[in-house]
Amino acid sequence: MIAPGALPTGTGIGLRSQHVAELLARRPAVPWLEVHPENYLNGAAACASLESVRRDYPVSLHGVGLSLGTAGELDLGHLGRLKSLVDRIEPCLVSEHLSWSTIGGAYLNHLLPLPYTEESLAVVAEHVALVQETLGCRILIENPSSYLRFRQSSMGEPQFLAELARRAGCGLLCDVNNIHVSAWNVGLDADAYLDALPAPAVAEIHLAGHAVNDADGRVVLIDDHGSPVAPPVWALYREALARFGPVPTLIEWDTDLPELDVLLSEARTADGLQARSGLRTERARAA
Amino acid sequence: MKSLLGEPAPALVDLVEGDGLDPAAGLAVYHHHVFTTLTAALESVFPVVRRLVDPRFFAYAADAFIRAHPPAGPCLDEYGEAFPGFLADFEACRPLPWLPDVARLEWAIHRASQAPAGEPLDSAGLGGVPPSDMARLRFVATPGLAHLSSPWPVDRIWLAHQEEGQALPDLGAGSVWLEIGPSAAGVLIRSLDPASFSFRMALAEGRTLGEAADAVPDAVLESEIRGFLGDNVFSNFTIATEDGA
Repeated sequence: MIAPGALPTGTGIGLRSQHVAELLARRPAVPWLEVHPENYLNGAAACASLESVRRDYPVSLHGVGLSLGTAGELDLGHLGRLKSLVDRIEPCLVSEHLSWSTIGGAYLNHLLPLPYTEESLAVVAEHVALVQETLGCRILIENPSSYLRFRQSSMGEPQFLAELARRAGCGLLCDVNNIHVSAWNVGLDADAYLDALPAPAVAEIHLAGHAVNDADGRVVLIDDHGSPVAPPVWALYREALARFGPVPTLIEWDTDLPELDVLLSEARTADGLQARSGLRTERARAA
Repeated sequence: MKSLLGEPAPALVDLVEGDGLDPAAGLAVYHHHVFTTLTAALESVFPVVRRLVDPRFFAYAADAFIRAHPPAGPCLDEYGEAFPGFLADFEACRPLPWLPDVARLEWAIHRASQAPAGEPLDSAGLGGVPPSDMARLRFVATPGLAHLSSPWPVDRIWLAHQEEGQALPDLGAGSVWLEIGPSAAGVLIRSLDPASFSFRMALAEGRTLGEAADAVPDAVLESEIRGFLGDNVFSNFTIATEDGA
């Protein structure tokens, strides 16, 4: 059994149900794995398989269901079930999204961004604090992929995240693909975005593929996690490593899921970039 | 927010900056994501219904269902319980009267597939119950156990459509009384006779053995009890007190 709370190093992969049996049979050398807790809150059979995985690998729980940006109260039933899973799995990391999904009892799984205002910051910071208190650990908050910005926003997204980390004491999950996608779709400067994030708070990086679609003659990038990491995202990842250091990184893939080996190969590519980035840092220090 | 299930409301479009993507196009990306993932979730729970009606018709029905019954929570594998009832009222499904029961069977299979395999009942403890208390025995169904009766042979329809392009079995084959539950080897579908079905369903719903026994002739009661004990469909028992608690 991996010790609870042990922080992952290197590049892990997002584990999807289609790969669980193969992973358990082969036990490939991958330093850690990440799953969506929502897939393990209901099925006893699925949860038993996750416990088998957990015996050999650190597991990170990456939630999509808390809707931290909701103006109303958090779904305490869902939070309680998440707490039970955290107690059972003893994850190495717990993370959620900066988004909102619930209103009037309906839950829409679209991870919609928020208007970035003082008012919404106070709401999200309070929700994050409640989650951390309930789970008994610091959580990481991920930047969303955006297809729109709200007129009411009075601050930028990275400034909002920086202030959230300061107020709530949470960490940040920097999704480099999301920054690239959002930068293209809503006109942000990706390098300036990285500069605005507080480096000590960034505790995980996500990498994934995106689709390039046409919307009435204008190119729109869709964060569909359905292809290899694109060259501009690898370039932005190097920039992120230069700013944040060798942060644990994760390869995500959800649409058109390929063979497990394809994900493992992407993870090795990220590890290679981390090693080179580390060397550059060492040389810079020595010089 | 509900407008993300339909055409974007002008009021929502007005909240969005116009300097990036066209606001309506941006909202459409979220709308598309919701419908794609929820349709995929329904497809994975109801694969036989999808084969029976054709994928395009399934997507059409799923679209109408998602608008009428958006998810109440974030766990996709809990979504779709209302789909069989929705199909029963869906005008375009009228020519396929057996379809809602096939969907009910698929939902029961889905739930049973997520449940742990049933623990055997403590038969030694049960043997120690004095005969005078037997009628007040109340059993606890194993998680994932379901009972489904239908005027259509839905188990044969389901079995015949595990692959694409299969013909419908004889729809006149008559009614079925099915018990669906988890087992160590996977989900088990038992075809019962009407009396056993009523007996076991009454017990699963929490009736006492004395109440449920009305469903079966006295002569077969003992073999019925041996039958459900052997099938591991109940995981525990209590003895109801005189006041019925």
